[in-house]
Amino acid sequence: MSERLKAVFKSEPTGVTRLVSYIMAGDPSVEASLRRLKGLADHGVDVLELGVPFSDPMADGVVIQAAAERALNAQMTVKKTLELVREFRRTHDTPLLLMSYLNPLLRYGWDQLAEDAADAGVDGFILPDLPWREGQGLRMRTKKRVGNKLDFIPMIAQTSREQDVQAVSQVTEGFAYVISRNGITGGEVELPASVNKFIESLGNSLQIPRCVGFGIQKPEQVRALAKVCDGVVVGSALVKAFAKLDQKGLEEQDLIEQEKEVFSWLASLKN
Amino acid sequence: MVKEKTHVLSDDGYETSGHFGPYGGAYVPETLVPALRELEAAYMESCQDESFQQEFKELLQRYVGRPSLFYEAKRLAEQLGGGRIYLKREDLNHTGAHKINNTLGQVLLAKRMGKKRVIAETGAGQHGVATATACALFALPCVVYMGEEDVRRQNLNVLRMRLLGAEVRTVTHGSCTLKDAINEALRDWVTNVEETFYCFGTAAGPHPYPTIVRDFQTVIGQETREQALKELGKLPDAIIACIGGGSNAIGIFHPFIDDKEVRLIGVEAGGTGNKTGENAATLCLGEPGVLHGAYSYLLQDDDGQIVVTTSVSAGLDYPGVGPEHSNLKETGRADYVSISDQEALDACTLLCQTEGILPALESAHAVAYAAKLAPGLSKDQVIVVNLSGRGDKDVETLAQYLEGGANHE
Repeated sequence: MSERLKAVFKSEPTGVTRLVSYIMAGDPSVEASLRRLKGLADHGVDVLELGVPFSDPMADGVVIQAAAERALNAQMTVKKTLELVREFRRTHDTPLLLMSYLNPLLRYGWDQLAEDAADAGVDGFILPDLPWREGQGLRMRTKKRVGNKLDFIPMIAQTSREQDVQAVSQVTEGFAYVISRNGITGGEVELPASVNKFIESLGNSLQIPRCVGFGIQKPEQVRALAKVCDGVVVGSALVKAFAKLDQKGLEEQDLIEQEKEVFSWLASLKN
Repeated sequence: MVKEKTHVLSDDGYETSGHFGPYGGAYVPETLVPALRELEAAYMESCQDESFQQEFKELLQRYVGRPSLFYEAKRLAEQLGGGRIYLKREDLNHTGAHKINNTLGQVLLAKRMGKKRVIAETGAGQHGVATATACALFALPCVVYMGEEDVRRQNLNVLRMRLLGAEVRTVTHGSCTLKDAINEALRDWVTNVEETFYCFGTAAGPHPYPTIVRDFQTVIGQETREQALKELGKLPDAIIACIGGGSNAIGIFHPFIDDKEVRLIGVEAGGTGNKTGENAATLCLGEPGVLHGAYSYLLQDDDGQIVVTTSVSAGLDYPGVGPEHSNLKETGRADYVSISDQEALDACTLLCQTEGILPALESAHAVAYAAKLAPGLSKDQVIVVNLSGRGDKDVETLAQYLEGGANHE
């Protein structure tokens, strides 16, 4: 298991729970992504998710779809994403996971990707179009190539059946990404009342920490979830906040100042 | 740089769902995994259930008008010289295309599973119309996703769907064509999964769709086989079908796969050229990858992004293809070729003027390849063309082409 990731869940969280953040690599530029990754790490984010843009993101809502389009228009690629991680690693130890659909990664060449990602300082993958049980071959292949350097983060949905949860119960590395509700990323929909009960029920089956994502954007949501899980993921709300700044056409110095407000807002979610 | 073709997702020794050789699988968000397994189980049950099979068969006979005609296009063959040409007349089905075979089967399944709502994607609108039709017949609410570009060029079908009581939702993301409509339908499904049945239109997508759609379309090939044996006393020498996702092609090919003497030829959209973005010839020009839940051939760039496709026919304008076709290509059992927009348009007018039959622009691709193949065959050799749909929906596109042609003269 990735040592960086292990350390996060071994130590007590600062605030009510741990914070996992998501931004899209290259949205709107490599420089902005690097600055924001560093800013997030400096403002109390425990785990970073870095999206790799894909033209057809079927699990994503409009906010992240638009972010992928902006990144692709800025010529973002897997290769440049890895360079971005390498640059970030020169100064920061915060664990970082790549979140991507399969196709751009397969196209890069999986074995090469595993080596290059581990070498650049990536800690693992979240692959929304690779169900856990379909991914066993790919995980074994990765292990053969780079040992335990890269974790695969299983996703669990409220619709998951017993045997799917059972398969994840064998996992001893990383954390489980629990999807708060049926649907795509983002949106203003309230979390279903059943979510806390569902996460609690997983506690008995899983050996790994549970982080909850999809649609999280308010402190009261985080406080309620903190009682039953080990961390929360904030994606679309954060991507949207940065996109709003980017649309203002600010001078760089003003942009950097206003980004700090976004970092503070994010950090305030777990107070 | 040529990349080595390693199929890392389906390496031996690990359980994966529904593959054709290395192709297929179910690469979808976790939320949909149980829905696909539920569908697979319900489908397997329905295969064993005689009353289901009987109901489906009766619908095909009494509602669709099956068996469809096996018609010898004598004037067409005479004009071309060489082999004989037969048309499998799926254009004469109720709603005007092969799509109805599949939607009746799937909507029957939806009923059986107790689903309250049906969603579908559509490109040319034929699958949307066929789904809306089946839903009207079985009193289920229906939502059809359709790309903005397709809504514009296939407006007649949009009106038909609305008349049938379906809600048509225009998709304005990405290239605004079929692939984006599928993305949006998948997003709807993942959000409303428990009550919703996704009626998938082609033999692609995640397992079990490639198998279900193929099985519901196999009636085309079964009839063709019987009709050929009865009328000709032998199997045809070649079968030609157009390929977007590949449902009409796999439907007619499948019962002939073991008959090695029958050539199977899939015809893709060559668009305006062979450069990236100019065509939709996935098997001819693509590379394997994952899109819409399956590992199969794709039109993609060097970074694994799906590329924009071009075809005069909306139903073929798709950067993916069904996984079983990828495997038939890999094993060499079927050949895949492409036909340009211009050749398809020419074939359309050729069939109109020799036989009085207006084919869909999709099916015209198959006719165009038959016109290339026939002159090299002998008089006793037989080509069957799957005439998958009629061309009423395409008259505006054809009018523009004819007017454009007139301007050149």
